[in-house]
Amino acid sequence: MTENKLRILVLDDEPIVCKRLQPALEKLGFEVDTFTQSVEAMHQIQQTAYDIVITDLKMKEIDGMRFLEEAKKQHPQTEVIVITGFATMETAKQSFQKGVFDFIAKPFKLSEIQDVVTRAAAKIRGAAPA
Amino acid sequence: MWPGLQNLWKRIRRRQPDLVAFPEIFDHFQALLQDHQGVMELIADLGEKSGGEYIFDRKYLIDTTEEIQTLLLRMVGGLNLITSNRHLDLYQTIDRIFIPLGAELRGRLLLSKEMPLVIPLAAAPPDRPELIGGKAAHLAVAIQNLLLPAPAGFIITTRAYRLFLEHNHLEERIHGLLEAWVAGESDERQTARQIQYSILAGVVPHEVIGEVKRLAERGGGDWAVRSSAYGEDGELSFAGLHESLLHVPARGVLKAYRTVLASLYSPEALIYRQKMGMLGEEAAMAVLCQEMIPGRASGVVHTMDVSGQERDCLVAFAAWGLGRTVVEGKGPVDRYVVERDFPHAIRFQEIARKEKQLREMAGGGEEEVPVPAEDQGRETLSEADIGTLVRFALTLERYFKRPQEIEWALDQEGQCWVLQSRALQFPKPPAPLPQDICETCALYAILIQDTGVVAHAGVGAGTVAHVATDADMDRFPEEAVLVTKYTAPWLARIVPKAAAIVAERGSAAGHLATIAREFRVPTLVGVEQASEILTPGMKVTVDTKQRTIYAGRVKELLQYELVQSLAFEDAPEFRLLRRMLARIAPLHLIDPQDQNFTAAGCQSVHDVIRFIHEKAVEELMDLPRFVKRFKGVRIFTLVSDIPLGLKVLDLGGGIATEAQGTRLLPEHIRSWPMRALWAGLSGPGVWSTEPVPVDFQGMMSSLTKTWADTPGATTVTGFNLAVISENYMNLHLRLGYHFNLVDARMESEAARNHIYFRFVGGVTDLTRRSRRAKLLDKILSQFHFKVDTKGDLVVAKVLHLSREDMEQRLQALGRLVGFTRQLDIQLRSDEDVPDFVEAFFDQNSRLREQPPEGGSNDGK
Repeated sequence: MTENKLRILVLDDEPIVCKRLQPALEKLGFEVDTFTQSVEAMHQIQQTAYDIVITDLKMKEIDGMRFLEEAKKQHPQTEVIVITGFATMETAKQSFQKGVFDFIAKPFKLSEIQDVVTRAAAKIRGAAPA
Repeated sequence: MWPGLQNLWKRIRRRQPDLVAFPEIFDHFQALLQDHQGVMELIADLGEKSGGEYIFDRKYLIDTTEEIQTLLLRMVGGLNLITSNRHLDLYQTIDRIFIPLGAELRGRLLLSKEMPLVIPLAAAPPDRPELIGGKAAHLAVAIQNLLLPAPAGFIITTRAYRLFLEHNHLEERIHGLLEAWVAGESDERQTARQIQYSILAGVVPHEVIGEVKRLAERGGGDWAVRSSAYGEDGELSFAGLHESLLHVPARGVLKAYRTVLASLYSPEALIYRQKMGMLGEEAAMAVLCQEMIPGRASGVVHTMDVSGQERDCLVAFAAWGLGRTVVEGKGPVDRYVVERDFPHAIRFQEIARKEKQLREMAGGGEEEVPVPAEDQGRETLSEADIGTLVRFALTLERYFKRPQEIEWALDQEGQCWVLQSRALQFPKPPAPLPQDICETCALYAILIQDTGVVAHAGVGAGTVAHVATDADMDRFPEEAVLVTKYTAPWLARIVPKAAAIVAERGSAAGHLATIAREFRVPTLVGVEQASEILTPGMKVTVDTKQRTIYAGRVKELLQYELVQSLAFEDAPEFRLLRRMLARIAPLHLIDPQDQNFTAAGCQSVHDVIRFIHEKAVEELMDLPRFVKRFKGVRIFTLVSDIPLGLKVLDLGGGIATEAQGTRLLPEHIRSWPMRALWAGLSGPGVWSTEPVPVDFQGMMSSLTKTWADTPGATTVTGFNLAVISENYMNLHLRLGYHFNLVDARMESEAARNHIYFRFVGGVTDLTRRSRRAKLLDKILSQFHFKVDTKGDLVVAKVLHLSREDMEQRLQALGRLVGFTRQLDIQLRSDEDVPDFVEAFFDQNSRLREQPPEGGSNDGK
């Protein structure tokens, strides 16, 4: 069973977000890597394929939009979930145009993101049954 | 002289107030009500966020604070427009509250003068470990929140440490010496010696000396002077690196203080900090001074077995005399292995032969003496002592969400004391679970899933206990899972004992939720049918993070939670949020007649909005101004058999369009809250028509009297008035000498609803009036109001109920207003109180057959 775990990358420059998301998603049976440095995360997605990427939009160094573009370019089947404290209709629209799976405004409930991730996982598993 | 002049000036200025015209007042008053509601919602939001169900970041905290400030400024502006600028000092109040809040958000408060140099342990802020150090922060929680017995003491804070460095010009010197060491120009021994010498030779600033002397001499006995460095008891272990001095006489505390400070730069501490990559960070040391407990026996409890051999057990180590025997491994000790699971059976005990013990010497210090022959082979702890220690240990672990290592002592009278509690360090990481946690949990039967709202996130396990009455509360066992239909405030006293809470009703912003967060008890509210599914005596595990309740004790999950990297409650953002909430949420201003009910008396955001609301209503109710201002405005007079003399001002939608002229018939009331209250007040038999004693008749005749006629009354405030809209009612009702205020909002969305009830006054002596307050308290509590009484003042609040539940309570209030207007005359002794409670519920037997449902409440 364990080798079938889906891999998730979380990128948010506020450490608290990573610290809280990691155990919450691990408990659902995912393998989770977290990053607070966008440069490091960028490096990581160029090396490793993730099933799901969860990213903030507004960060120092690399902008979240650019990061998600790169994630999609590297692995088009990666599902991207955007989490942001600067939610506007504009950013939401822009994200969906870039093919993100869902868009969540901060602050959000743990159960909310767990639901979205579960739906993304179902989509991935549905597309490529294990 | 000066205040007298000021008053005179105020009176002159007030003589010709510029009255604001009605349409303007109307707009401002409505805007005030809306902003008031807006601030209340933001406060509730912040409270909810502290429960762990939400992911938020610092930006959210900054944004919300700004939003609250904007609303408050608007409210202050609005109030001043209504009152012709009589409350301009509120701008100062807002600065007084928001400047430190802003500093808090930017992390700049630590160095500010607002932070104490020296502070008693019982008053120390547990959410500021950077000020008081980890060790002291844990003990502050043990004493203040968990009410555990820990020796009294005080803390010399990190601010005092910084002042010490500044005073002795040590900062640059230390920095230079450290740089030379890192550059390889000197070794750690030389470096440490030079820094330590400078600290030991330093002069303690006089403001610190004064405070330390005062507090140390107050104690009487000897002191333990311990390091409490920031981070020391947190994720990193500095265990044993910093100095602790025991049996220090009061006059020696300052010298010991410098010695402990110097230990921050011992060679071992330097190497450790370098290894952990912390050398670049500024080190800071708080020092904890505690009264010494002359121990008959002492030792340590681990809430888990660090060797990993005894699964699901606590281990207690004990020896005769003072603590170093156990802590420093100076001799053989007793070992008790106790099950973590209730009722904590002793699995086995190993009693050592203890030939020597430490005891304090006269004049300071410790000495080793032989243990009396009859005690050498005897166990140090009785079963009862073990029970007490286990309860203390698990209470601390439940709160800190981490396995704990607790130092304890048993004094000569046999009382147990908690000396220290810190995160237990495992020599090697605990063995990983054989299976993935997610797969393991799937093996347990699920009783309830995905229902309810998280009030506090966490995992707790225990035996289900239902609570519906006072007697149930007295029987509530330690570490049980509280299952209840309601989240009434009177449940508060058993919250600290509960392993988890599941309530069928209530909201995450309610009073019980707030208390649960204070004690960090995992809590789910709004779990329908919980009490049918979770029956008394059943063993369950409540995981509120996943909103899942399992049958049985899911040991793997409980262990998983305990060894996770960080308890969310201890994340800096959560600490920050709690510190912010302390400046925002508490309500201190309860009684408008209190002399502190002023702009200067406001301590929190909640106080400010309460004050503004009261002053705005007062302005509307002021008789002379009212008469002038409302000339030409349509004010209704309620026409009914009940002689209330009630004027009604409709802000919109509160009165049916059929109402003619200024006469208002009850059937034309459209305001939801007013209809409900009226239904209660005008119900059969409520407005008592029975013959009453003579002195009561006198009171009836005074029904239309104004307050000003009452001997000793201080203010002329007028008449009976209701300000209503479709969803809102603010009712001021003076019946004889009783003064009732009901402020209520009733909408379809429960989160916006509230009832605030205030009752004061009365013609009889204070004893009888207090008796009446007690009676109201009892009745209102039955309806799940949160009740505060002070002398003859009763303030009751209830929040976030559905429209139906609000209606029921307003009807009850209506009945209560009718019921109590004569009471203080009739309440002749304390024994009468229960009879009258009975009488109320008898009269309202219909209510009794349908016990009040649900709800939560909180300050308004």
